[in-house]
Amino acid sequence: MKRFTPLTFILISALFCQGQSNNLPPLDKSPMDVSYYPNNYPVLKIQDKATEPVLMRVIYSRPQKNGRIIFGDLVEYGKVWRLGANEATEIEFYKNVKIGENKIPKGRYTLYAIPNPDNWIIILNKDLDTWGAFKYDAQKDILRTSIPVEKLNESVEALVMTFEKTDNGCNLVMAWDNIKTSLPISIK
Amino acid sequence: MIKTVYIFFISAIFFISCGDKNEKNNSDQPEQKSDTAIVNTGSANPYAIVDVSPMDMSYFPVDYSKRKMAHDIRTPPVMRVIYSRPHKQGRKIFGSLLKYGDPWRLGANEATEIEFFQNVNIQDKKINAGRYIIYCIPYENKWTIILNNDIYTWGLKIDSTRDLMHFDIPIKKTSENFEYFTMVFQPISKGAELVMAWDDTEARLPINF
Repeated sequence: MKRFTPLTFILISALFCQGQSNNLPPLDKSPMDVSYYPNNYPVLKIQDKATEPVLMRVIYSRPQKNGRIIFGDLVEYGKVWRLGANEATEIEFYKNVKIGENKIPKGRYTLYAIPNPDNWIIILNKDLDTWGAFKYDAQKDILRTSIPVEKLNESVEALVMTFEKTDNGCNLVMAWDNIKTSLPISIK
Repeated sequence: MIKTVYIFFISAIFFISCGDKNEKNNSDQPEQKSDTAIVNTGSANPYAIVDVSPMDMSYFPVDYSKRKMAHDIRTPPVMRVIYSRPHKQGRKIFGSLLKYGDPWRLGANEATEIEFFQNVNIQDKKINAGRYIIYCIPYENKWTIILNNDIYTWGLKIDSTRDLMHFDIPIKKTSENFEYFTMVFQPISKGAELVMAWDDTEARLPINF
């Protein structure tokens, strides 16, 4: 019987909970990714194909749907959501931009969303280098803006954030499950 | 025997559940599946597939963002590294996949980025606060670590004319293999070491502040 004591527990834990058999961190289940605008800027840059300077990037983690209903269920309506997983999602502007009529000075921000059935409230916040939205502090908001949601026919498995060029700048496109939203960012 | 089975059963339930938390709770829950199954890269993502070598980020102080969330830390972070994590996948890495003497991006995909939020010293050279590319030239007995200021680039073509500083550091053979390339900070008496490990090799870059 003594064999099945805490040691067993630890061994089983090693079996189930360690992706890497040492004490350094395993891979995240929701891996991090980065998107630049212009899209694929780092690749364009080494190919000497970048026609404009890098303007912004978003760093976020990519949870997966895994058969779950996301909006209104896993991610509750009306509550602040970290737009990702793990570390708070971060957006950085390398020059001043405008969102709606709001001037956003260049710099790093955390980015959150409050999903609702028909719209998302997008939040830019100055509290950096933090984890998720668990201690989100509304006093550090610099912007809240509402954007409509679009229903997709095909569901998106892993949360994605990317940019699409527009006449005035770009849209930050966010899609997961059967929902897509676009945040217009003006760079003119 | 019944007790044995019982304990095993309870343990199994505990750990299965620990590996299957929903998105709100998954943080550093490790991935059990093999490389190809890690992500569902199927046709269902019209924008961007999940990378085979996923990105990750390490701060110093260690777990800074979690500690900040827990109100366990009030000072600003000292530094962070953003890198991608290739897998060994049964290959021999150093001296084979990565040739000795050739530059290596210390990761995959985008060039690996290190940001110092304050001035630091490496091997008695002052490094100003700021964002840098960090890469490596591996040799059989040492690594040369290079800081470069050509930021926001892809790792396969690093412009060496933008190199700022080179640091030679010793390497150590590890008894266990690291499946995923790993970069993490560990505290030392006058700062922290950037620990870099993959396959059977580990290197440490001491950073003083």
